Amino acid sequence: MGAARFARILVRILFSNLFGAVVCLLFALVLSELSQITWAANLLWIRTWPNLILVPMAMGVVAAYFWRSLSLRTSQYLVWWVVTSLVAPLGAYLIWKEGLVCLLVGFPILFVSGFGGVILGRVWFGSKMSKMNLSIVPLLFLAILAEGEFRIERESVMTDRVLVHAAPAEVWKHVIAFPPIAEQPNYWLNRLGLPSPLATTCDGPFVGADRRCIFTNDLIFREKVSRIVPLRLFTFDIIEQPPDPELLGHLALHRGQFELTDNGDGTTTLTRRSWYTLHMRPLWYFDWWTRQITSRVHLRVMEHIKRLSEDS
Amino acid sequence: MFRFVTRKLRWLASIPCLPQVFEAMLVIGSALFAREKLRAMELLEQFALAEPDVRKWPHRLGGTGFFVGNCEIGHLHGNGLFDALVGGQTRKVLVSKGEALAHHVYADSGWISFWIKSEEDAWHALNLMRVAKTYRMTWAS
Repeated sequence: MGAARFARILVRILFSNLFGAVVCLLFALVLSELSQITWAANLLWIRTWPNLILVPMAMGVVAAYFWRSLSLRTSQYLVWWVVTSLVAPLGAYLIWKEGLVCLLVGFPILFVSGFGGVILGRVWFGSKMSKMNLSIVPLLFLAILAEGEFRIERESVMTDRVLVHAAPAEVWKHVIAFPPIAEQPNYWLNRLGLPSPLATTCDGPFVGADRRCIFTNDLIFREKVSRIVPLRLFTFDIIEQPPDPELLGHLALHRGQFELTDNGDGTTTLTRRSWYTLHMRPLWYFDWWTRQITSRVHLRVMEHIKRLSEDS
Repeated sequence: MFRFVTRKLRWLASIPCLPQVFEAMLVIGSALFAREKLRAMELLEQFALAEPDVRKWPHRLGGTGFFVGNCEIGHLHGNGLFDALVGGQTRKVLVSKGEALAHHVYADSGWISFWIKSEEDAWHALNLMRVAKTYRMTWAS
């Protein structure tokens, strides 16, 4: 490949990423006007709000438009899209200080949907009516804005259960607070830097008590006990999330709950619930990841409580 | 997987952008696990565009559509499955001779399917496309 052709491809890669960034900025600006939310607040959300199907797809269409005169084959489009799609996460990591785990989780859908846009654009602009087809870009842009404006935030709950071979009274002691977990987490995302729970402290078993859930990387979730039914139910509201790049803007955790069910045979079913709102889109994709990660957090804590209860 | 999606999850195609995302997955799969197939698919596109009056256009289900005027004569999916509209009579002949398969979703229609795996298959698919083009032009006239 000639140097000039290589340079043309690289310049166009930057164009498509620039387009993606401009779309995100305009997205924040327009939505702040429409929803009367301050520009500054929206600026904080732009890295998470835009839909990770529509924006990469629009970027892919733009990339295909800029590459249309280069007569690339499908496999070459794929190779160059690999390079193009790495620029945006790299920029997010360096400029927005985005979390590595979030980028890893988001990259597959960004890559696939972006390549979908490339395929669409490749066929579209390769046809004899390419000028007319430019209308797809503003249409995609409108679709992105409309998706953001009409998006409905939804609270979800994640539930996990563990059987503990101990009476509820024994389990209850360790539900309110527990000492540090010594075992290393075995989830692959934790090895890549995703924080995992370490310990919990609590002022006491009463409504209004301050509770702190301590994660690795010195992250602390500040919580307040909101409901107690002794030996049965322990609910707490999350009043402050740590400013961690893996969490910031992506996920709002509202409250957590432990429920103890006496099985009548000396065992207890320990149920852990977390209520959350996910800001990332598409919801079906990121909700799957959130449930995987939340479940790992639940089970790490619950297995620890199970060990403590069964050893006492 | 492809069979399951095209038969059971066909309704998902009405969601904007999803067919293109699915198509991207098919092409990425071909690029990763069947390079020869991808090369053959590229060849078919190249041959098709060299045919007079044939142009390509995005297919509504995500693949690459081949058109004569505004009428579709066939389309190529990202996994190398080529579908062409040859009419009911010709379909029967082609399928009975083993030149093509009945369409992967609409077996009793005028469509045929053909799997492209190698360069020879791309040539054969081109011939099928020519049959489809003749059918379309005859039918249109």
